Order: sequence, then C-alpha cells, then structure tokens
Amino acid sequence: MNGSAALVDNANASQSRRVFWDQDVYQLELERIFSRCWLMLGHDSLVPKSGDFITTYMAEDRVILSRQPDGSLKAFINSCTHRGNQVCHADSGSAKAFVCNYHGWVFGQDGALVDVPMEERCYHNDLDKSKLGLTQIRVETYKGFIFGCHDPEAPSLEEYLGDFCWYLDSIWDTPDGGMELLGPPLKSTLACNWKVPTENFVGDGYHVGWTHAAALQMIGGELSGLSGNRADMPFDDLGLQFTVRHGHGFGLIHNAASSIHVKRDGYVKYMDETRGAVREKLGPEREMLYVGHWNTSIFPNCSFLYGTNTFKIWHPRGPHEIEVWTYTMVPKGADAETKRSMQREAIRSFGTAGTLESDDGENMSSATYNNQGVITRRGRMNSSMGLNREGPHPVFPGIVGVSFIGETSYRGFYRFWQEMIDAPDWAAVKAGDADWDKMWTNRNFWPDRLAAQQAEPQD
Amino acid sequence: MTQARKTVGMELHHAIVSHYSAEARMLQNQQYREWFDTVIAEDIHYWMPVYEQRFVRDRRPEPTPGDAAIYNDDYGELKQRVDRLLTGQVWMEDPPSRIRYFVTNVEAFETAPGEFEVFSNVLVHRNRRQSEVYVHTLGREDKLRKAGEGFKVFNRKLILDARVVQDKNLYFFA
Ligand code: FES
Ligand SMILES: [Fe+2]
Repeated sequence: MNGSAALVDNANASQSRRVFWDQDVYQLELERIFSRCWLMLGHDSLVPKSGDFITTYMAEDRVILSRQPDGSLKAFINSCTHRGNQVCHADSGSAKAFVCNYHGWVFGQDGALVDVPMEERCYHNDLDKSKLGLTQIRVETYKGFIFGCHDPEAPSLEEYLGDFCWYLDSIWDTPDGGMELLGPPLKSTLACNWKVPTENFVGDGYHVGWTHAAALQMIGGELSGLSGNRADMPFDDLGLQFTVRHGHGFGLIHNAASSIHVKRDGYVKYMDETRGAVREKLGPEREMLYVGHWNTSIFPNCSFLYGTNTFKIWHPRGPHEIEVWTYTMVPKGADAETKRSMQREAIRSFGTAGTLESDDGENMSSATYNNQGVITRRGRMNSSMGLNREGPHPVFPGIVGVSFIGETSYRGFYRFWQEMIDAPDWAAVKAGDADWDKMWTNRNFWPDRLAAQQAEPQD
Repeated sequence: MTQARKTVGMELHHAIVSHYSAEARMLQNQQYREWFDTVIAEDIHYWMPVYEQRFVRDRRPEPTPGDAAIYNDDYGELKQRVDRLLTGQVWMEDPPSRIRYFVTNVEAFETAPGEFEVFSNVLVHRNRRQSEVYVHTLGREDKLRKAGEGFKVFNRKLILDARVVQDKNLYFFA
C-alpha cells in the first residue's frame, strides 16, 4: 500500500470505508500496529501466584501469560516449537510446566523447552533444547495492568501510554490501590472490523442517547435524560473528550461514574468515602475524573467504561470479525460484596446479554458488512463533530474537546492509526513526537474559552 | 443421576413438558410480559454462569452466583430485561428476529411436596434480518413449584455449551 492519505484524511476528519473492509489494509495493521504496539494481556489479579497462568491472544496469535517463581511475568507464543501444535488449551490454571499433546515436549513455566520424550534414545542427545523455547514476548505492567509487545524497538509501556498515564492514574493509582480485573472473561464473536467497537468506546458519546434509548429509559437515573437525544440537555457542560499522542482517548461524563448501575449503594458509598483522598493525592482535576464516567480505548484494541466498569479486548479475526473478551474492572479497595455487585451490574449492562451492549452489535457488524458492495466501499466515513472546538488545554494533557458528545477522540485515534500504518518502524513514529498534534489548529480554543468563562459573572 | 430419586409419574411429566411447550410458545411469539407473569416466580434466581476451560486436574470449585455470570438476575432485574424489549426502541428487534426453541430430555424429580427439580436440553435457533442464523445449545436445570393450574420457576440455571458465544448477543430467554 502506498501512503495512507486516501485512507485517513485528518484535515477533513474522514476515513475511507476500506479501513473496515480491505484485506490488504488488515494485513498492514497486523504488521504495523498489532506486531508493534503494546497490547492488553490482563492484570496481576488474574495471575496472582507463581505458576498461575492464563491463555489469551495478541491479535490472532495465541499466547500464554505465566507468573514466575520470582514474581515476574513472562509471556510466550502458545505454539510448540516442534510441529507447531497449540501447547496449552486451558483458559487459566496453575502449572509448573506445559506439555504439548502431540509428541509430549515439555515447556517450563518460563517457556523454555525442558524435556522431550526419548531424548537420549531417539534424538541421541543431539537436540539443542536451549534454542527451542517458546517464542518470548516483551511484557511490562502499568499499575497492575499487563501488556505485551512483539517489537524490540517499541518504546517502554510507560512511554507508549505517555500522557495517558496522567489520566489513567486518576483511577489506576488511587490511594486505595487502583483497580483490578475480575474474570473469567465472557467471550463472543462479532462479525465486525475491530476498529468499529474501538472507535465507539474511544469517542462515541453521540450514539448513547439513540442506540441505547430503551436501556437508558429502563435504568432511569442520571443518564436517562440522554435517552432520545433530548434537545434540552446542556451537552457542552455534560463532560469532555480527550485524545493523546499514541491514539488513546476517552469521553468523560461528569459525576456519572455509577450511573449505569441500578443496584449501587455499595459503589456510591465507596466513591463518597474515597474521593477526598483522591483529591488530596492527585488534585481536584483528577478527582473530577475519578467521579466521572469514562468511555475509553487504549490504542489499539482495549476498551473500558470506567464507572460502569466493563473492560473489553477486541481480538481481531480477519478484517470482518472479532472475538470480544469482557472482564470487569473494580477498585481493589472495595469490599468483596461491593465488587461482586459491580461485576453483576457491569455484566448485566455490557456483558454478552448486556442490556446496553446488545443494542450495539448490529451497528458494529453492519457498518462493516455494508462495505461488501464496491460502490458503497468507495465512499467515506465522517467524524467531524466538534471539529475545531478542541485543542491543547492548560491543565489536561493531550488534546481536549469541548463536549462528551463530539468526535475529538475519533480524530486522535485515526490520526495515530494513519501514522502507524505509514511508518516503516518505530523510529519513524518517534520522529513525529514533537508536532504530533499540529492537525489541531485552533491552539487558543481553551485559553480563550476559559478566559471568557472567567469574565462571565457566575451564577 | 445417581441419587435414589424417583422421577415423577406420567401425568406430572406430561404436565411439565406441556408447561415448557407453552413457555417456549410465549417466547417465540414475543409475549414476554405474559411469559414473565405466568412462569416466573417472585423469588426467581435466573443464572447463566461462565464456565472456563480448565484442566481435569484443576481443583478449583465450580462457579457460584458470586462469580462472573452472563445472567445472574432476581425478579426485578429480569423484569427490567423484559421491559427493555417492550419499549419499542430496541432497534435490533425492529423488525423482530425469529427465535425457535427445541426442548428435549425433560427429566423431573419431586424434591418436596409440589416442588420439582427438572433437567432439560434446549436448542435455540435464531434468525434475524435477511440471512443471519445463530444456534445455541444449553443444559437447563430448573426448580419449579406448582402454582395454580401450572408451574412457576424459582431457580433456573442455564449451562451454555459454547465457551465462545457465536452470536452478537445472548439477549433471549431460555
Ligand atoms: S508438536 Fe509439540 S511435541 Fe510435537
Ligand atoms: Fe453503545
């Protein structure tokens, strides 16, 4: 593919429909995004003790994530170095070794080949086992969340998250110990391109009132006003939108963390009891983030709703299908009963039978499959909502959009997507660090707006 | 079943199978309110646990209602799910999908006077839009009690056979 300008047009905030459909675009994504970026593997809470493991995916590659005796983590490709058989078929467990079913090669919990049947009699001790370990994957953690990366040239995980750490810390680095994941994950397939749910979670406050009108009505509470996109909602005061250098982003609804939960007494009490300490440790801006509701994606394919607390990884299965894994993300410091209740509410709304999530499935698949038609596929998609009502902010890092309902985070997501697709290696990406945000030309949007608000008499 | 339990007699067995047929008919005809009002007891626990793939040697206990579950509902929560379908604003169900239930292997035991433990196999066939087809098979473990002329379920455990659900969602009642 020659240059991606036709695929993503940043100035006009549009993308070719081919990004949801074309096989060659997808192959390039596998090479230039999924083989180069940090991908979500899980959380410490899923593999707490030495020997604990889970099996998961990095895009289409199967991997084993295993806790080592010294407490560190290793991840390796779940495919035998003999004839390629899958080594481990369990979702999780505890194992000092993984034995391949085909001919019985034994891999240690660090992935090294430790034993093969009849090594002396049939290999005559000629097999160099030290060169036949399972393919290792870089593993790094941030505040307990575990990521893997295949590219030795990639920046550290912390650099990759970059400015987004400032935001994540307001929920992952609280005085109470941040958050953890509860499994086992729900798993389902969905016939859509992986970017449709990712863009939906990163920046789609717009669809909520329409797509989820029925569920919002049923739940009632703070967000029921969104149902049917009622014109009397003060959308500019409702929240904000954020995007950063490496494509991560989120939308924030103020004071709405627990709003999708119906039974939420424990959660509300927990938030009331902890927000003061968050303010003390992280300041008032991040206390504001702490009590808000977030729809978030960590580039490329991990999304979560902070507040509702569903946590998703969208594993691609070709350009037209994904396998959705759904965990629950809960505050470590909450009591066991509150965590259980959060998990029930999160799954009730955003699990496989979720009262909200079930509304979205067709949006995802039909935005993909409509592009089967060549004439349709020649068209473009628009993400211009709120263009220019966004820019650098004196307090919040990255680029900030004025409303929770806007497409700021879409623009940031596709900007970085295009950069990765165009770049032959990480060095080329790093060369863009200084002026990554130059496409946001309204540099004085926030200084002007904040000054104007100050000048206005407050009521 | 290895316990020394007696299956119910022919007449009761017939009544329970008929009850399930009526239940399936109501769901197939989208009579969700009627279904909810006639077959769901107020102390219902409606539960679809998530079963992981685990090695046989794994000694961890089976999932409990405190663990991750696709459904884990009480009466009010199940009612909310029904109410959502009846708002008229569930775009995925307009035009509505087609669903068909095949309930077999019904095996009922009387556990207390007027209370029954019932096992069944359920095959669910869903069609929607032009050509979408989804098939699910489940084991169903019910606790029923006599209510008027019929039965109400106060405990329903649904055991999915597929680890990875091959469908957009599992928003149907079984
Ligand atoms: S393929 Fe694994 S032992 Fe032969
Ligand atoms: Fe949605």
